[in-house]
Amino acid sequence: MPGRGRCPDCGSTELVEDSHYSQSQLVCSDCGCVVTEGVLTTTFSDEGNLRGLRRVRDLCRVLQLPPTFEDTAVAYYQQAYRHSGIRAARLQKKEVLVGCCVLITCRQHNWPLTMGAICTLLYADLDVFSSIYMQIVKLLGLDVPSLCLAELVKTYCSSFKLFQASPSVPAKYVEDKEKMLSRTLQLVELANETWLVTGRHPLPVITAATFLAWQSLQPADRLSCSLARFCKLANVDLPYPASSRLQELLAVLLRMAEQLAWLRVLRLDRRSVVKHIGDLLQHRHSLVRLAFRDGTAEVETRGKEPPAWGQGQREGEVGNNSLGLPQGKRPASPALLLPPCMLKPPKRICPAPPVSTVTGDENISDSEIEQYLRTPQEVRDFQRAQAARQAATSVPNPP
Amino acid sequence: MASAPRPERVPRLLAGCLPPYPPPPPTVGLLSMEQEETYLELYLDQCAAQDDLAPPRSPLFNPVAPYGMYILNASNLDTALNSNPEVKEASGDFSSVDLSFLPDEVTQENKDQPVISSRHETEENSESQSPQSRLPSLSEQDIGLGLNSSSLSNSHSQLHPGDTDSVQPSPEKPNSDSLSLASITPMTPMTPVSECCGIVPQLQNIVSTVNLACKLDLKKIALHAKNAEYNPKRFAAVIMRIREPRTTALIFSSGKMVCTGAKSEEQSRLAARKYARVVQKLGFPARFLDFKIQNMVGSCDVRFPIRLEGLVLTHQQFSSYEPELFPGLIYRMVKPRIVLLIFVSGKVVLTGAKERSEIYEAFENIYPILKGFKKA
Repeated sequence: MPGRGRCPDCGSTELVEDSHYSQSQLVCSDCGCVVTEGVLTTTFSDEGNLRGLRRVRDLCRVLQLPPTFEDTAVAYYQQAYRHSGIRAARLQKKEVLVGCCVLITCRQHNWPLTMGAICTLLYADLDVFSSIYMQIVKLLGLDVPSLCLAELVKTYCSSFKLFQASPSVPAKYVEDKEKMLSRTLQLVELANETWLVTGRHPLPVITAATFLAWQSLQPADRLSCSLARFCKLANVDLPYPASSRLQELLAVLLRMAEQLAWLRVLRLDRRSVVKHIGDLLQHRHSLVRLAFRDGTAEVETRGKEPPAWGQGQREGEVGNNSLGLPQGKRPASPALLLPPCMLKPPKRICPAPPVSTVTGDENISDSEIEQYLRTPQEVRDFQRAQAARQAATSVPNPP
Repeated sequence: MASAPRPERVPRLLAGCLPPYPPPPPTVGLLSMEQEETYLELYLDQCAAQDDLAPPRSPLFNPVAPYGMYILNASNLDTALNSNPEVKEASGDFSSVDLSFLPDEVTQENKDQPVISSRHETEENSESQSPQSRLPSLSEQDIGLGLNSSSLSNSHSQLHPGDTDSVQPSPEKPNSDSLSLASITPMTPMTPVSECCGIVPQLQNIVSTVNLACKLDLKKIALHAKNAEYNPKRFAAVIMRIREPRTTALIFSSGKMVCTGAKSEEQSRLAARKYARVVQKLGFPARFLDFKIQNMVGSCDVRFPIRLEGLVLTHQQFSSYEPELFPGLIYRMVKPRIVLLIFVSGKVVLTGAKERSEIYEAFENIYPILKGFKKA
């Protein structure tokens, strides 16, 4: 390297900086003579930092992220490492920190990486990951955008092994990728609009939507396949909440079907509605508007009245239906568009707490305190019982 | 500080609007302990007589604080006029005033020096804290009155990240508006529900600490008390429970105690006193020093669903919404410093408060923001 001096042995200027066991050395590339030896500059914390940075790069490569992501993630890791709390953290925490930096980078570029995926790759607990993630976002003061649902649908759906026939996937189950993707996307949008996504983990919703999309594209052959079997042959893990998401989505579709005259007469149920998902999705915007009324105003007024009134109102609506046309010939009255947690009746009615007149300075009677104390006899009994238990537990093992 | 100015020196515009509280006693240092005590009781008696407007909040009307600090300040007067959340509970009594600085032992025979000095300490502590605790609440009271448009006031409240000093002097225009409006506002007691259509957060849990000021033998306590559990291998404290008020206490060998589970500040104090009594009856010279509320948790229901994804977009700097981790949105409000958990069902949990008013304030701040997300 020019400007660095000459080798004392052969006089060449080709000196190269080379590290030998983290000790920097200046070596002549012609004759191999070691010109200078640096001091051992890397401290324990530096080595930890280097280790972490290497792991960040490795993780980015494993996930096949674009190269720009790597630099951003490395920068975040270094930024985090400057804080003393992170430098002094346990190794496990530092390893999880690697995943957090990569996740933040992906989120900022709308790359759909889930926390579950990173935890699987790092063999880390989601609870540990969650605490460090929240800590680091707060520490670095970062603005992390939400997970991009559309991108996640595309990535997740593409991972289903249904696009080519194989020994486990019969021909009638094979589906065109683009058709499935577009239909799944529409179903996920529908779920989002009808309050099925807010507050829930996004992945099970997408699993349910993918299943419905797949079924509806060839219902005759596929209605017999269950959700669990579908995930198994697609080689994808079935998330536990997916079945309840599926039921919620089917309920929404059934309500929409009630608004179409030619579907109303068919008296669809949760299985038969699948055959008509295509039609329902085609008109989903207007059907949602017809099938549901805004739940927000309703809940407020309903909340103020006693519950009996709500019942009466519903009965009145039924009465209206039977006024002119027989039931089934008229669209069902709009249901409330609310998150499922608000539609279920409350488990128990919380009574308003009685107004407390405690001042904090009341007299405390002796008898009240004495009820919490053991009498001398009880103390003796308790001590005897404790001693007996000690003796029992410390019995030596038989030889 | 100079002699306390009389209420008549208040600008004419606001005469009659200011509650005619008597001038507080002169600052500490000029009087002896006994005199100060007498003044204190006199002052409190007089305040109780005029308490139909609003019960005094001890940090605000702390008799030890210089009177000049809070009489000539315009926004201060708004506070006096404004809704005080405690009015709703009991007008005319001091149930919501923090009387913890009055020692438990005033009623007992042994009124020794350390007791008085600790009260002095707590008063001085609250005095030093009061300017800071006062300033944030003032501008919040402006907002609470609804004198400014809610969006303007919200942007105000959020644009002052933790810098309490900048809050008071900077918003001149809102102050002048509030000043003129204050003169025509009738002096009726305002309920704490000014904008929130009747929804009041309910307190669910109070955590408080107290110092019993004597070393304790935890084994002896666990042996002689029926309601105690002690497992030194698991946790180095006795866990004691009483039935009324239904609370749990952690009693440490150093004599410090944590009391949790009460539903109001007074209940927490009563419970802590009962635990101290139990420890006393077990033969320890337990006292009741430095009772302090450390945390208050409240909850309420706005009764409409909330689009959490939208809320995290518009209030990104305060919100954290990770549905993969937790179904609720974590909103860290800066003024007052409260953490709110907001759920899609419209249920809101408020925590991190040291005082009841902070919970009410935080809810009054968040309600207009949530209303903005009512329409899907």
